Amino acid sequence: MNEEKSDACGKETAPLPEKENDFTTELPSGTGTPSDNAPVIKAEGVTYSYRSGEQVSRGVTGVSVEIYPGEFVVILGRNGSGKSTLAKLLNGFLVPDEGVVTVNGTDTADDDKIFKVRSEVGMVFQNPDNQMVASVIESDVAFGPENLGVPREEIETRITEALEIVGMESYRKGSPNRLSGGQKQRIAIAAILAMRPEVIILDESTAMLDPKGRREIMETILKLKNEKGMAVVLITHYMDEAIGADKIYLMCDGEAIASGSPREVFSNEEAVRLAGLELPVAARVSLNLKKAGLDVGFALTDEELAEEICALK
Amino acid sequence: MKDISLGQFYPADSFTHKMDPRAKLVLVVAFIVMAFLAKNFLSYFAVMLCVISATLVSRIPILKVLKSIKAIIFILIFTGILNLLFYNGETVLWSWWQIKITVEGIIFSLKMVLRLVLLVMGTTLLTYTTTPTAITDGMESLMHPLKYIKVPVHDIAVIMSIALRFIPIISEEVDKIMMAQKARGAAFDNGGLLKRAKALLPVLIPLFVSAFRRADELALALDARCYNATPNRTRYKQMKFSLRDVLGVLGTAAFIVLVVALNNNFWGAYEPVASVWWLFSV
Repeated sequence: MNEEKSDACGKETAPLPEKENDFTTELPSGTGTPSDNAPVIKAEGVTYSYRSGEQVSRGVTGVSVEIYPGEFVVILGRNGSGKSTLAKLLNGFLVPDEGVVTVNGTDTADDDKIFKVRSEVGMVFQNPDNQMVASVIESDVAFGPENLGVPREEIETRITEALEIVGMESYRKGSPNRLSGGQKQRIAIAAILAMRPEVIILDESTAMLDPKGRREIMETILKLKNEKGMAVVLITHYMDEAIGADKIYLMCDGEAIASGSPREVFSNEEAVRLAGLELPVAARVSLNLKKAGLDVGFALTDEELAEEICALK
Repeated sequence: MKDISLGQFYPADSFTHKMDPRAKLVLVVAFIVMAFLAKNFLSYFAVMLCVISATLVSRIPILKVLKSIKAIIFILIFTGILNLLFYNGETVLWSWWQIKITVEGIIFSLKMVLRLVLLVMGTTLLTYTTTPTAITDGMESLMHPLKYIKVPVHDIAVIMSIALRFIPIISEEVDKIMMAQKARGAAFDNGGLLKRAKALLPVLIPLFVSAFRRADELALALDARCYNATPNRTRYKQMKFSLRDVLGVLGTAAFIVLVVALNNNFWGAYEPVASVWWLFSV
């Protein structure tokens, strides 16, 4: 991508959502409105560049993000858009050059409290194979709580609980070697859940999975949000995974070029085009129909599209 | 495909399988000492009895245990022949140039071979009855006192655990890379030794690159899970020393006593039958 993009990646950020729950109406939302509480993670004007020798390459520039308890946030962007860098800034893997990231008020730049930050903000990575440390699933899930010095009896209940949420309790004593990608990734999520974080960041955790595995992870995310009231941050380049989100940050060239509810962000055609992403089929069809002169509103899901079309005279 | 991560583990529900891995590790060491203590054929016979009874208690088919000898067959032949030909004995049966076969040589090489066979059979019982994970846990627990002389016991344990975890992953990767290179026309199984070794280079390089990439991500994953967050780390898995382990220790101790006693002819406690006496003496 090219000259056209760099100056065009405008700063016209859509206003933050006024929490209209239109797209999540089918989900029983167990938590209160996010804006009532203080954010768990707060990043303000964060800038980070990678340096190797003389060369400096930009990671993210002036990004501000707020993650509230119980919120499902999606950070969307193509490869190289800075979305993974942003994720690594949120749990203190990277410390911003400019700006501040705080987790429950703790600055991630504070080396002494880094483990507090990481136990509150869990992170799951792309390749599930590279995240497991033990050959028995329950030992792997126990690893995090062990490191935190959780008493043995409590680790026991935490393992059971974590494996139940991801639906893998029957594999407890088994080996991770013969599981499918989606199952392994669910184990990786359970391993983080056992540490009882407030936020779980999935850094492209669906990128290596087949459609079935991706669906399993999406179901797990919704379960975490609805049943546990946990905040989930999903880093991805699949727009269809963002449909169910409470809030989307659209990343392009290290900047958040749009943010807001899926409806707001997806209907911002200019931003989506700049980010080089592809709208979900329903959204594309509804926009094209509208351009063709039909009175069709913006639709996110297939069901909405069907309703819009049925409403036509 | 066989699950490599399980190694030789032979799943069964037996006395030995249920023993504490720490007890089994200690007993294996004791067994090795026992095998080296044995001096005469009768005490070797006692060691053999120990192996056989341990095998029976483990409910592992004796044939399976015998098969483990296959791995060291060349070492056996080599030691057997060398000792046979070069032992400095007195009763010469046949000699040529520097080589001579003596009665003492025959007896000595027989003992050597027997000792090796018994050692291998006894120690494989450990790997047959204990998963690699349990062995690692046992070793960590046994090494625990070393912590006080600043040995990073826990780090070593994590390293061992990760190594075990990645053996099947890496071996799968080798298969994948080999297939990819074959698809590009690489030939791995023809030509001389040097040529074949050279052909493996395009497998090793991508393997190393990917291994380092994995290590990078793994390091992040360890950090994400607060590795080394507190020195007061807890342990989920607990090993319990049970009555079973006491019995195992007592049994092995009894065999060691028997071996020592046979070595010393029961300190002359009784007058052996003449024909048996010969077995004591050699």
